[in-house]
Amino acid sequence: MKSLLVYIPGDTVIHRLNPCTKILLPLLLCIACFLTDAWWFLLGVLVLDIGIGFLAGIPGHTLKLLRGLGKLALFLLVMQVLFIQSGRVLATLPLGILITDHGLQVAVMGVLRLIDITLPLALMIAVTQMSDLANALVYHAHMPYKYAFAITSAIRFIPVFTGDMQMIMEAQTARGVAFDTKSFWKKLRLMIPLCVPLLISSVKKIESAAIAVELRGFSLRTRRSAYRRTSFDGRDLTAILAGLVLIALSVVF
Amino acid sequence: MPWCIFPADKGQHMIRISDFTFQYDSGRTPALQNINMTIADGDFVGIIGNSGAGKSTLTYAMNGVIPGFYRGDYYGSVEVNGMDTVETRPEIIASHVGSVFQDIDAQMVASVVEDEILFGLENFGIPHDEIEGRVTEALAACGIEDLRMRHIDTLSGGQRQKVAVASIVALRPRMIVLDEPTGELDPQSSEQIFALLSDINRVYGTTIVIVEQKIALLCAYARKLAVLDHGHLAFFGPVREVLANGRAMESLGIHVPRIVSLHQALSERGWYQGTAPVNMDEAERMAREAMQ
Repeated sequence: MKSLLVYIPGDTVIHRLNPCTKILLPLLLCIACFLTDAWWFLLGVLVLDIGIGFLAGIPGHTLKLLRGLGKLALFLLVMQVLFIQSGRVLATLPLGILITDHGLQVAVMGVLRLIDITLPLALMIAVTQMSDLANALVYHAHMPYKYAFAITSAIRFIPVFTGDMQMIMEAQTARGVAFDTKSFWKKLRLMIPLCVPLLISSVKKIESAAIAVELRGFSLRTRRSAYRRTSFDGRDLTAILAGLVLIALSVVF
Repeated sequence: MPWCIFPADKGQHMIRISDFTFQYDSGRTPALQNINMTIADGDFVGIIGNSGAGKSTLTYAMNGVIPGFYRGDYYGSVEVNGMDTVETRPEIIASHVGSVFQDIDAQMVASVVEDEILFGLENFGIPHDEIEGRVTEALAACGIEDLRMRHIDTLSGGQRQKVAVASIVALRPRMIVLDEPTGELDPQSSEQIFALLSDINRVYGTTIVIVEQKIALLCAYARKLAVLDHGHLAFFGPVREVLANGRAMESLGIHVPRIVSLHQALSERGWYQGTAPVNMDEAERMAREAMQ
């Protein structure tokens, strides 16, 4: 199970943006998506997100992310359509469940928003080295290093914990647990008990990690400690301006 | 300019442990009891013992993790390069003693090798014009110059271990403490790690203290051996002298290398009078003499 939240090295215009810009841009897109009520605007943002992925030279990764999000989106779409019963009735399902125009509208908007907001964040992780992000947040945004480190460590540990979960699942499979079942609910029921050993191993790992970083001078670090300095240039200003224009457009539409 | 940040004072012991006893808050019995040992600057010491013997606790005492991070009943004293670990902050001790932990994944903070090595250098405030040289030197010392820009997740266990050692070597500590660094490695990678540590010890004079289960490998590289048993220091001294107590070590449940067992058998039959061999060359010599 390879995690999708990993850094993919590259030297594209997106990779070269300041890490602060790369985290600010998804935030601006998020604000724009929540301000708008136009479905076509959300669709436009989705196209923009995919375009950014292609511009970053990671089209395959972008489509994989989209596919992963698509599954979750489809699940949420169905749930919302089934649960929202107000509005003009378009069809009637068995057990008296109605499919309404309002339900469809809310579901589509919600799903589009979810993808529009999540995809840029996942892309940001794919094009940003976490250490650069932490250093940029400390140097430019004056964030205390311990918070910046906590954010980047949380992201960095995702593939580590994914690997641990995979190992626990393989150990259980070797003892006869059938995780290859097609039933989602059955698989979920089998996986829930594994959360306890994963939690225990994760807490132990975090404790070891905390001691390890302290012994490498973590508490001595200052704002100016970082060796590689990042700066803002025209590209960053253009990207931030584009994000602000999107917010303005979202208010208009 | 000295290679390390804080060179040891002449004639100073790197580690001096006196009547040290420690019991974790969560423990029912002391993890270590009445430990007395000194480690000279530039020595290469191996620590062996069964599970729960107190090996990791002893390394924690040497790198300031105890009493810095683990609470418990602490008796006696531990001095690192003349500093009492109770009175000195762990990060100050850390500038003298580099530590490589058992769980390498937990130790890694960055996603790229270069960033991993930079982390400690940046934290300890190494001047920026010196950093590039330190990174290059550490990578070269560990033979991983080609991995500099590699993503850590794509490295093998042996390569990760070398990165962990390089990130500590870059800090130029006076001493490096390693807790089972070859635990998850194949024999060839384990040999490479030991050869690397031996080079660092020989070239830079860095004191090496290593906890290891692969006793034969340890005996081939270490100069001194400490044997722990249920929190007590059962044996401590030059490898040959400790291995001469092979029968006693086996009674503690520690499997001595086969060449040592062979030496015991030959000595008991009066076929060989020399000291215990610590590597295959010496074992071959012993066998030849015994056959003559």
